[in-house]
Amino acid sequence: MTNYILALILGVFFGLSLQKAGLTKYNKIVNVFRLTDFAVLKFMMSALIVSMAGLYSLKWMGVIAFPNIPATYVAGNLIGGLIFGFGMAISGY
Amino acid sequence: MDWLKEQFAKEEWSPYAAGALLGVVGVLAVALSDSLLGASGAFENLAGLIGQAVAPNLFDNMYFNFVMPPGITWGVVLLIGVFFGGMWGAKSSHTWKIRMVSSEQWTQIAGKKWWKRWLVAFVGAIILEYGAGIAGGCTSGLAISGGMLLAPAAYLFIAGMFASGIVTAWFIYGRRF
Repeated sequence: MTNYILALILGVFFGLSLQKAGLTKYNKIVNVFRLTDFAVLKFMMSALIVSMAGLYSLKWMGVIAFPNIPATYVAGNLIGGLIFGFGMAISGY
Repeated sequence: MDWLKEQFAKEEWSPYAAGALLGVVGVLAVALSDSLLGASGAFENLAGLIGQAVAPNLFDNMYFNFVMPPGITWGVVLLIGVFFGGMWGAKSSHTWKIRMVSSEQWTQIAGKKWWKRWLVAFVGAIILEYGAGIAGGCTSGLAISGGMLLAPAAYLFIAGMFASGIVTAWFIYGRRF
């Protein structure tokens, strides 16, 4: 139960960050692919840097263990990414 | 404090600030719940739940039995939070409003008809969810959550996503690219 409450709270801040970055808007998503507005990329990279630094520090301090790392299967990841990008560019989500 | 409130209420934050917030949320998800943030998986859990109730034979396959078991998972609850978080964000900047077509840029290329926007959003979402299913996650579940663990899968996915996204946008926008 606690886990579900945590999920709800984390979800709220997840949604807040997306909304405040403007990623709920069609323009923002499509324009990163038109190379005219890099908000999506800035958002992703900023999130990656912060979480990477945080997670690796915590792991190094022995506070956490990493969860299962998403499996690598080159063709699947790439083809999935290609289909995903197409859907993303036409829907704008 | 007033300054902070003022910054919070802005319609749009710097993407770096918003990204940093998501980064913190991502770390907390691992530290507190031992889970990874994601969105597309939750839709599959829900779809599986509905599917098994409506057409059990169709949904009795490897994918829904083992890869993405149906149910109200951690991710589904997270997604409910995302909905309210987005609403909170819009309310805080007083930009919360129900619109049928939300983007002027869309209107310029596809006209004002609302059903067109909805149809393309629906079909596009099916396609992207399908791609996420093959790749093993979406922008949040694989690219960010995997990327922060330095999973090669995440970077392959990002490469694929931008490659086809850019080509698709080029086709849609043509000369106006």
